[in-house]
Amino acid sequence: MLFNSYTFIVFFIVILILHSMRFAWKVKKINLLIASYIFYAAWNPPFVLLLWLSTTVDFFVGRALYNEDNKRKRKLLLVISLIGNLGMLSFFKYGGFILDNFVTMVNALGFNYHPANPGIILPAGISFYTFTTLCYTIDMYKKESQPVKSILDFSLFVTFFPHLVAGPIVRPNQLVPQFQSPKKATRHQLVNGLFLLSLGLFMKVVMADTFLAGPADTVFTAQNSLLPLDAWMGVLAFSGQIFFDFAGYSTCAIGVAMCLGFTLPQNFRFPYAASGFSDFWRRWHMTLSAWLRDYLYIPLGGNRKGSVRTYVNLMLTMLLGGLWHGASWTFVVWGALHGIYLCAERWIQQIRNKTQLQTPHYIPAVAEGKQAARASMVPSFFTNLFTNQFVKMLFVFFFVTIAWVFFRSADFATAWRLLSSMFGRVNNGAALLPTLDIIKVSVITVALLGTHWLMRQSSVADLIKKINWKLLGIVWAVMVILLVLSQKSSDSFIYFQF
Amino acid sequence: MQTKNLLKAGILGLVLVTTFILGWEGYWRSKGYVATYNDDKVLWANKRHEAYQSKEKATVFIGSSRIKFDLDIPTWESITGEKAVQLALVGTSPRLLLEDLANDKNFKGKLVMDVTEVLFFSDAPFVNKSSREAIGFYHKQTPSEKLSSLVDFALESKLTFLEESRFSLTSLSNEIPIQNRPGVFVFPSFPKSFSWTTYDRQTYMPDIFLSDTNAIKGVTGVWAMLGSDPTPAVDGNALTQIFKEVKTNIDKIRSRGGKVILVRTPSSGPFAMGEAMKYPKEKYWNQLVAYTQSEGLHYQDNPVTKVLTCPEWSHLAPKDAVTYTEQLVQSLEQKGWFSTDEVTHNTLTN
Repeated sequence: MLFNSYTFIVFFIVILILHSMRFAWKVKKINLLIASYIFYAAWNPPFVLLLWLSTTVDFFVGRALYNEDNKRKRKLLLVISLIGNLGMLSFFKYGGFILDNFVTMVNALGFNYHPANPGIILPAGISFYTFTTLCYTIDMYKKESQPVKSILDFSLFVTFFPHLVAGPIVRPNQLVPQFQSPKKATRHQLVNGLFLLSLGLFMKVVMADTFLAGPADTVFTAQNSLLPLDAWMGVLAFSGQIFFDFAGYSTCAIGVAMCLGFTLPQNFRFPYAASGFSDFWRRWHMTLSAWLRDYLYIPLGGNRKGSVRTYVNLMLTMLLGGLWHGASWTFVVWGALHGIYLCAERWIQQIRNKTQLQTPHYIPAVAEGKQAARASMVPSFFTNLFTNQFVKMLFVFFFVTIAWVFFRSADFATAWRLLSSMFGRVNNGAALLPTLDIIKVSVITVALLGTHWLMRQSSVADLIKKINWKLLGIVWAVMVILLVLSQKSSDSFIYFQF
Repeated sequence: MQTKNLLKAGILGLVLVTTFILGWEGYWRSKGYVATYNDDKVLWANKRHEAYQSKEKATVFIGSSRIKFDLDIPTWESITGEKAVQLALVGTSPRLLLEDLANDKNFKGKLVMDVTEVLFFSDAPFVNKSSREAIGFYHKQTPSEKLSSLVDFALESKLTFLEESRFSLTSLSNEIPIQNRPGVFVFPSFPKSFSWTTYDRQTYMPDIFLSDTNAIKGVTGVWAMLGSDPTPAVDGNALTQIFKEVKTNIDKIRSRGGKVILVRTPSSGPFAMGEAMKYPKEKYWNQLVAYTQSEGLHYQDNPVTKVLTCPEWSHLAPKDAVTYTEQLVQSLEQKGWFSTDEVTHNTLTN
């Protein structure tokens, strides 16, 4: 079920009514659990079985892991859980990809092998709930937290419909304690939640789908080379679309949970205001970044095993992060680019740190007036430019946007054609986008960057606290009116496919 | 912000949104618009489910926009007592729709296929875009989407401004007159009042369109622009391949006991002249009918339908659609369409 559907509106009203009635807390939790299964089954009923399987296996294996002291048995249990979770993910998400690559390889070796298309359907949100359950069993293996006592609480933790299909990826300690005592939204939480739901839908339906999806789709499906203006506008449109689409979903999820009295972790914090690539990943899909850091990067050794190993760990983490997004080599390249960005940033940071350590040696030189000579070689304007946070933000946005080309392109040919067009490396590129689209993308991109810059140290919650209620009411109304006017020009959330 | 202020903001927002919706609806109603349905893949999928009715109870129609305007469903249903399942799609070739029904083993009914040569014999990507989307949507429609569509239809039946092609943000912003750069092709917009659609997917031109000469000129302008397309008509092997493909699909339906007949609905003025020049009847229509061993009902072969005039060159006005439908039913009766026997295949005309 999509948040941007009439079905969800009806569903959510029923849930709100049921949740506000005077049932016992256990009954309310059962209601929420049944609602969550209905929410998922409304997309494809048979795939609920996978959810049940994943939940049951991880609940019992998790408990056994925590209680078992025998090392060999513990490892065996962990392997069972990993095979269960990752096996399911590999089959449904990577089955076709693995087969395609195998076929390409054996054909390259001279074997004429052409199997039938396996036609595997990807269950919605499998990457998200697999990571949710995986972190529980790994925590149990490490004995980092207590096992969840009730299968009802554990099932609800895995299945709770606001986060189920596209995150935020929650950890047991973020959600399970909230199920242990009765939760009902206060009036403040309810109105705040409805505001966030409106904001999320506005981001998704109006900004992503109505304004930006069209130019992005037109450019990314073009069969010919384009003029640099058109290529850049299409790629910038996608930069905006992917943010509004995914951050919109997370905002809806947080708002919906808030209306029921629950708190979900923040997933986006104005990412295009990032002043560095590591800062970007602290702001973009924060729950996935934290998951990859805690369950992949740190177990690989993080930065504790020397400089070279740190770079290797960074690259591995980002490559797997890329593959998590989609079963295609273009996603791997997207991940690799971010890995390279992070490695380069770290390397530059290390050089700067070394230079700063050497700075005391220059102090006497300054006193002798030698600093002036140095300054004349590197003008202060230039130095200031590169330490200026706003310029850093634009620099990061530029490289992140380049990486989105691989993320959105159906294949490498499209990606290269677009990159060549963007940098004027083609002759006779075509003009493609209507003037109205160019205006829309330009205005939205400037507004997006401006908003992220101004809000970089703040949050929507802070803004709501500060703003005059009349202005908030008008802004809210404008968002909903545009939402109503956008009508059905909306589609699935991009991250559903992940 | 205090809870009280947040609540006040919410109430203010609600008042403003409600005021806007009432005002917006009232404004369009005052301009002569009424609540109609979005003629999209959702409504198409809803009707596609009805294609499985038995031969005695329903006839399925596929084609491009012409049959949607020219078949008057109330007239058809009142004369024949049968349901008309309208599955034609605006701006598309019906060949993919035919293929979809041919490959659906549960479809064993009666099928009328309208042929608009300029779309039927084209393989340009845009010609199959809507049909591909609609067919894909129908086969993959989720339970949630089905339920949403029911709420959607209920709202569309009451609210005028929910007609997406006329009043959505995208449609309204596309009306802003901004010059495009040389080489940028943008499909011209039809006047807002042009085509209205009912729940049965009957499309018609309302009086506010038919009485507006500027709006009619707007539509004929679009046809004139499309008619100036220099791409030559399909010929030779490619044409034979199309005939083969159509015959294969028709044969599949017939092999299951289904019936198929081809129709050519009226066109007028310069558009009809252009069609006749680019797609001569003898070479395209007659050959298609002969190759597929089908019955064909061409509007020019019937003295009544021959003189019908399309106000904007391509579709009949509602009153003429009634006449056309009466003639169509009569011709089909002569072919044994409403009997349980096979349609006779001995003549090409009615």
